[in-house]
Amino acid sequence: MEFLSGLSFGAPYVLAALVLLPVVFWLLRVTPPMPKRLVFPPLRLLLGLSGKEETPARTPWWLLLLRIVAAALVIAALADPLFGKPPVVAGSGPLVLVIDNGWTAAANWDARQATIADLLRGAKDRAVAVVTTADVPDVSLMDAGQASRIAQALAPEPWLGDRMRAAKAIAKAKFAQTPQIVWLSDGIEDGSGAAMADVLANAGALTIYADAPGRETLALLPPEQRANGFDVSILRATSDGPRGGQVAALGSHGEVLASAPFKFDDGKTRAKAHISLPLEVRNETARIAILNQDSAGTIQLMGGAGARRAVGLVAAQNNEDTQPLLSDTYYLERALAPYAEVRKGNISDLLAHNVSVLILSDIGHIAGFDNRPPGGDYKAVADFIAKGGIVIRFAGPRVAQGTDDLVPVKLRVGGRYLGGALAWAEPQRLAPFADSSPFAGLTIPKDVSVTRQILAEPSVELASRSWARLADGTPLVTGEARGKGWIVLFHITAGPAWSTLPLSGLYVDMMRRLLALSAGSRPAEMRTAVTLPPVSTVDGFGRLRHPPAEVLPIRAADLGRIIVSREHPPGLYGTPGTEDALNAVKANAALVPFGDLGHDVVNYTQSNVLALAPWLLAIAAGLLFLDALLSLWLRGYLTRLRFARGAAVLLVIAVIAHVPDARADDAFDIKAASDTHLAYVITGIPDVDDMSRAGLTGLGNKLRQRTSYEPQDPMGVDIAKDDLSFFPLLYWPMDPREKDLSPEAISKISDYMRNGGTILFDTRDLTLGSVRGANSPGEQTLRRLLAKLDIPPLEPLPADHVLTKAFYLLQTFPGRWDGGKLWVEALPPADPETGPAPARGGDGVSPVIIGGNDWAAAWAVGPNGLPLVDVVPGGERQRELAYRFGINVVMYTFTGNYKADQVHVPALLKRLGKGQ
Amino acid sequence: MKEAASLPFDAEALGAGLPPLIISAERLAAAVSMGVHGRRKAGMGESFWQFRRYTPEDAAAAIDWRQSAKSQHLFVREREWEAAQSAWFWCDTSAGMQFASGSVSKADRAKLLGLALASLLIRGGERVALYGEHQPPASSRAALRRIGLTLMGLRQPELTLPPDSIIARNAQFVWFSDFLSPLDKIEETLRRLARSAVTGQIVHIIDPAEEDFPYSGRMRFEDAQGLMHETVGRAETVAEAYRTRFKAHAETVSALARRLGWSYIAHRTDKPPQTALTALYADMSGA
Repeated sequence: MEFLSGLSFGAPYVLAALVLLPVVFWLLRVTPPMPKRLVFPPLRLLLGLSGKEETPARTPWWLLLLRIVAAALVIAALADPLFGKPPVVAGSGPLVLVIDNGWTAAANWDARQATIADLLRGAKDRAVAVVTTADVPDVSLMDAGQASRIAQALAPEPWLGDRMRAAKAIAKAKFAQTPQIVWLSDGIEDGSGAAMADVLANAGALTIYADAPGRETLALLPPEQRANGFDVSILRATSDGPRGGQVAALGSHGEVLASAPFKFDDGKTRAKAHISLPLEVRNETARIAILNQDSAGTIQLMGGAGARRAVGLVAAQNNEDTQPLLSDTYYLERALAPYAEVRKGNISDLLAHNVSVLILSDIGHIAGFDNRPPGGDYKAVADFIAKGGIVIRFAGPRVAQGTDDLVPVKLRVGGRYLGGALAWAEPQRLAPFADSSPFAGLTIPKDVSVTRQILAEPSVELASRSWARLADGTPLVTGEARGKGWIVLFHITAGPAWSTLPLSGLYVDMMRRLLALSAGSRPAEMRTAVTLPPVSTVDGFGRLRHPPAEVLPIRAADLGRIIVSREHPPGLYGTPGTEDALNAVKANAALVPFGDLGHDVVNYTQSNVLALAPWLLAIAAGLLFLDALLSLWLRGYLTRLRFARGAAVLLVIAVIAHVPDARADDAFDIKAASDTHLAYVITGIPDVDDMSRAGLTGLGNKLRQRTSYEPQDPMGVDIAKDDLSFFPLLYWPMDPREKDLSPEAISKISDYMRNGGTILFDTRDLTLGSVRGANSPGEQTLRRLLAKLDIPPLEPLPADHVLTKAFYLLQTFPGRWDGGKLWVEALPPADPETGPAPARGGDGVSPVIIGGNDWAAAWAVGPNGLPLVDVVPGGERQRELAYRFGINVVMYTFTGNYKADQVHVPALLKRLGKGQ
Repeated sequence: MKEAASLPFDAEALGAGLPPLIISAERLAAAVSMGVHGRRKAGMGESFWQFRRYTPEDAAAAIDWRQSAKSQHLFVREREWEAAQSAWFWCDTSAGMQFASGSVSKADRAKLLGLALASLLIRGGERVALYGEHQPPASSRAALRRIGLTLMGLRQPELTLPPDSIIARNAQFVWFSDFLSPLDKIEETLRRLARSAVTGQIVHIIDPAEEDFPYSGRMRFEDAQGLMHETVGRAETVAEAYRTRFKAHAETVSALARRLGWSYIAHRTDKPPQTALTALYADMSGA
């Protein structure tokens, strides 16, 4: 009886409907079951016999019981049964729920919702007010049902609430009786916790809820970028007991790029973790988040992660338009394009446009270097480097004549030739990169060699500034930090003139590493005056969404100071691609637990009330379904046999579903491969498939009689499953009932046609052509099925096509019907020099042949070898021509343009004769 | 139609266990063509019967010169008069014949038996025709195939009783049906056939459910055309009365056949077809 004592009903008056059950029982009892229907030939003998019988057969008692139980369950479910005791709300005044719904409440939102639901159940018909701290407080009383609807729609907001505002609103409100106030707090002290508790306690009887230990709120502080990843700090409110978790770096599509565990020791409120990420991947990080904590405070969006750097490209000579493959800039552009925005122009323009990286290809002296004092472009570049810009220079004939001083090492004039006609030395390979080099870890392809380079004057710094060397130790790439920026020099050209490096993938990787050097150099001062519109904002659970209407843009200069609020929720601001992030948790954030509030604090628990209605309804639905099945069975619509068959089918489906590749494909493949078979596409429509099979059997008989090709039994091919590569020719009848093809099937057909297979499409409806116009059902089907397929250009079969001469000489191609056009892949036009040839064929076999004469029907023979279908307009001549067409098609797919070549035999013989 | 396509083969396989069937012909038509029924007297035929002295009525070409050279007289070779009986059969094609409580419908069984019989007869040199097909009796394998195709054909008219059609006099008639038509119609048809000096066999094809009536509970019985129906509240209560009626009906048909000199064979589709075929064989060969 303990079970029953825990049971209560939300709407107990509905249970009164149970008294109707005996009525239902009586109704069901007197209504005879639906008769079982049966066709019975000796009906005449039965007529008149049934009059003697009085009481009709009754519905079996077990079926009655089933229906009564189902009805009782539905009634019970409507009475909203609940298992468990809702908490009792003391007193008799209105219930005021004060809910902290800032992001600090998000992680345990379920527990709050359950508590609210329980409290509202306990409130029954008392007036309820729902006051939230993160929204504008609204202390209006409503009934429990409406409050429950509002409470279910409540969601945490991504900013922090203003408790005093809510407390004041409640203090101001007038209640008829002393209200019961329940504060569902987040347990975080924001400086007003105790004051809030006092105000609320003055307004009514106060109960405070807070998170249970071990479920307290976490916050993720902004990460610190390190060379090999991120250092992250996590805060928690209370320090009781150890607690652990995972923190992860996520990409722009939410994929986990890397993760690391963190652990709070007992008594500590701060934990640290290190997420290690390679440099390239680090820049792809869109956000860092604590896993399994859905809250705006446990994610940190990374602004500017996807920003592409602008690279300026200056070349000494521009022959890109005329000879792109000899142009240096061509190789640079190709290597940089995936990772940077490449701009070309002269130095002053590019610097004015705020590029982050400047590449100078074969520029020996930057203009202005020779001025006294240096000015012009030289001055601009030097300033650019000093402010953090990166200059990458490439050698070339001009650099070999001498350079300015914006190079990492002093260079010798003139180049060094390796492996030339007059040189002793072999072309040099690259030495492995040193660990201190920015290129460390890149693999060097074996085939990269250098035939010419600029040498450096020996110096003390040369070794430390060499980022890449040749095998003999001479520098290939040198670099030097100057001011806040870098100067990098490649001792070879940017194009393949001096080495094969620009042709290798290593070149791309090296450029990418160099671009990463500029990660810190953003001309931020440019943007302080700009307003940043919201791109996407974060909701209380930490999910990105479209910005709501009330969100305002932020001035770029204010970004660091702004406090998140309804107008400025955390999110990404700026222009798509170069957003800045505004996060809920700033670096100086702290989580402090409540001190002594002077009131008892209750922990949230999972709901202890279970609503039984959904379960009861599910059981009732199941019973009614069973009843439907049993009724059908009783009326004879489902025989035992079909039950068994259905069960077997279900079992087979289950087995197939579990073992998707259990089909005996091997047997099919072995059969298909061990002989040549004519093949047709299984459309899944029995009459069409039977006709295809019979048709190809008939054609096979004729081929066996008349040609040296002896096909075995025709095979049906399932386009979706079977391997098509065994069949040179597929016959495919079109029927409007055919299902659309899956993308896999389409690509399979494309492969088949591309690799030399031929498909004979038969729209089978030529007779309807004149009546239905161009859109006969077969053609529509053809279009529907093959719309996505890459079909070559087609033309009506020209009179000199090799298909007309492959075995028989044919000019008409009748099947069951006669007439219409036959479409094949368009041939290249006849060569005007050789004049009209008797037969033309393309280079291969046409991958598609399309017609509408229903050939399979004309070819079809029954088991007795006799034709199955009459041909129209008729005559054995037409059937014979249909066979001849079939033989020609098979020969055409087998021999291709062989016959077209044969017509040249006389000419070849003649030519041979001349030679002798 | 898988069953139909293999029907001729099934029929041949069924008859394979029996020797070729030669009808025990009591009355053979004078005008029938050559066949295997030796008449024990000289006439048209293949086998040697006797030599007899030449008489002036005989054609000169009839003289057997080899025999005549052995003696002083001229002899004429006479052959035995051989004649063939013709057998006609007909299968009920009404919709009710499609009824099957088990796996075999009455129509399928009737066609199988008919073709098996035809196959046996053709192997025995007899001539066979499908009544109503408007083809003369023939004894070739091609005829057997043609009959098989006609029986398999989808567009056979639905007929409960054999139509009034051409039949040779003194032929044998085998009638496969479930004989559920009104008795007066059956009698009228039988008498009409008997007037053509035809005798024959009635093969009553019965589905086990028709005879045993194994139904219970509330049932709605419909006829094959869907024209009539009868709802029975408790089928088990009418079962006994129905069985009596059915038995009486079958006995009436049987008595009617015997009165006209026809033989009657009842065959249930749950029994193997060999039993019916053996009975038919025995009946027709006079064994």
